[in-house]
Amino acid sequence: MRERIHVFVQALRARGMEISVAEALDAMRAVAAAGVEREVLREALAACLVKDESDRPTFDPLFDELFPAVGAAGEEGRRRRRTKGPGGGAVPTGTGRGASGGGRALAGPAPEPETAPGRRAPRAGATGSRRAERLSAERAPAPDRSGRMARIRELLALPFREFTSRDVEEARDLVRELGARLRGRLARRERAAHRGRLDVRRTLRAATSTGGIPLQLRFRARRPGRPDLVALCDLSGSVAAASELLLGLLVPAAGYFRRVHLFAYVDRLCPVSIERGHVAPGGPLDLHARSDFGRVLEELFAERALLTRTTLLLVLGDARNNRLPPRAPRLRALRDRVARIVWLVPEPRARWDTGDSVLGLYAPACAAVLECTDLAALVRAVRQVL
Amino acid sequence: MEVTLEQVRDGLRAARYITTGRVETALFLALTLEKPLLAEGPAGAGKTELGKVLAEMLHTELIRLQCYEGLDEARALFEWNYQKQLLRIQADRAEGRTWEEVSTHIFSREFLLERPLLRAIASARKQVLLIDEVDKADPEFEAFLLEVLSDFQVSVPELGTIRARERPVVVLTSNRTRELSEALVRRCLHLFIDFPGPEKESEIIALKVPDLDVHLRTQVSRFVAGLRKLELRKAPSIAETLDWARGLCALGVRELDSAMVRQTLSLVLKHEEDLRKVEGKLGALLAGATGRASAPA
Repeated sequence: MRERIHVFVQALRARGMEISVAEALDAMRAVAAAGVEREVLREALAACLVKDESDRPTFDPLFDELFPAVGAAGEEGRRRRRTKGPGGGAVPTGTGRGASGGGRALAGPAPEPETAPGRRAPRAGATGSRRAERLSAERAPAPDRSGRMARIRELLALPFREFTSRDVEEARDLVRELGARLRGRLARRERAAHRGRLDVRRTLRAATSTGGIPLQLRFRARRPGRPDLVALCDLSGSVAAASELLLGLLVPAAGYFRRVHLFAYVDRLCPVSIERGHVAPGGPLDLHARSDFGRVLEELFAERALLTRTTLLLVLGDARNNRLPPRAPRLRALRDRVARIVWLVPEPRARWDTGDSVLGLYAPACAAVLECTDLAALVRAVRQVL
Repeated sequence: MEVTLEQVRDGLRAARYITTGRVETALFLALTLEKPLLAEGPAGAGKTELGKVLAEMLHTELIRLQCYEGLDEARALFEWNYQKQLLRIQADRAEGRTWEEVSTHIFSREFLLERPLLRAIASARKQVLLIDEVDKADPEFEAFLLEVLSDFQVSVPELGTIRARERPVVVLTSNRTRELSEALVRRCLHLFIDFPGPEKESEIIALKVPDLDVHLRTQVSRFVAGLRKLELRKAPSIAETLDWARGLCALGVRELDSAMVRQTLSLVLKHEEDLRKVEGKLGALLAGATGRASAPA
């Protein structure tokens, strides 16, 4: 039986399921405890090995193949009762007359008397593993993960450059969820603390009602102070998806800033809002214009009254300026007015400052320049920055 | 723990929990291998109920830890009862005790507020510990949980290590709002609980709302099964099905028709947009439930 499970685990791994040694050992113990009645065996193995429901469609057919049903349904009950026992080696080997086609195919070794389980096991193992190899070669090598969680994982790691319109659509929903989480995180920061620095004045005042004994402790709330947020998002074709998702992330958290100004730009600055997860520009915005961050900077500088000492200026863009004047001194001037400038780059680091990218000229004015080529990195960056 | 699969089955039946072989096997393994059981599945499919039933089955107490964002050790494990300690000191001062006496005194079990995790571990009897909606807690808390669940011991700096005499039966539930850490998932047995099929659900209704007529019961369970196939914002839970069944029972309904469904559907669907969506498909759903060709809704 041990061999069998081993082969089974190997075959599952070959299909892309990640199974640790500990889990395989659990499976052995589980089978020893649960016995080998087929459906119980199936669920026992599943409980130990299938940790993601989306792997179940991989698991079930393979189980059927490696542990085929024996005999007719009526006979089955009788045989199982007998084979039940801790670590029993007497496993149905698929040699029964009524076995299904799949079962017969796997059975491999010819019917043998059931008295030599120890001898049979290795052979069954060998057949199984060969079979597993063939099976894994037959099917597509990419593991099939169809669950929602798997999809989320995929979206988070998918580079923005490869986003299709469907991906963007699904990412919007995901971003709404992530934005809500972010909001929860910021809200927690503002909640009155249960520990931390004692508020002596309030504690003493509360103590007067208990005869001067400080029974009720009061703590200072952690108030990080609400910063202002100004976000500049590049909506030109190459990085539009990243910008949209960033805006989607920021909007739910907007309540935790004193003032929020969201801008989109291609070649000019345009105030935007988010409606139902989509970017709604508040003015004319030519999406097909040539990116010109220099001009955007100039326009922002004209609006510099919006910027205060507590402002976090968040810029998302690839800094590809189409060889137009970068006007980097303007960014330095802006830096002196705000708390921090953080630049998020939706391009891999290797491509920074290549071609028409002038990131290197802007970078010195920024407190941080972060690489955000996928959603996971974007979320990480936003958490880090806020 | 020594149990057989039959005992688990009988226990579940005695606790009036209708379920599948999958759940039975997973529970049996959780008890035998003494490993935590992670139950996942849609909201309202009976994950939390599993813990309750397990406690009933084992004739023991259910200790429940509801997870939420920001849950910390003080809420989950233990906390010193500061107020009580202070009162003790005040009382002791009047009696003129020495510092040594007082300090050993106020850091004893009497002044420890046992939170669910510690309570489950420190208990003399085997307990059922239900850690509900573990996906709502922060990842940091998960790491801490991992430590407690692998050793079943807790160290309190002033008291020393408290080790479980009887390992509690641990059930974790998750709605998968986020992915749990690999390490935690690996240490658990995994169980996916889906909504029951119409037959099972009909059995459940029979058990919980025995007054409802068999004919109507079948229609209700089929109708709800139909609803769950639609892409709704919130699929109806088993509890909501039961509410509906009770409502229909109270109204003395004999036959499901579109007028009646319209009036009572708010017991099952709680979102305006879901109601509107179902409105359009009422005819087809009813036809599926009653097995008759429907009159235009």
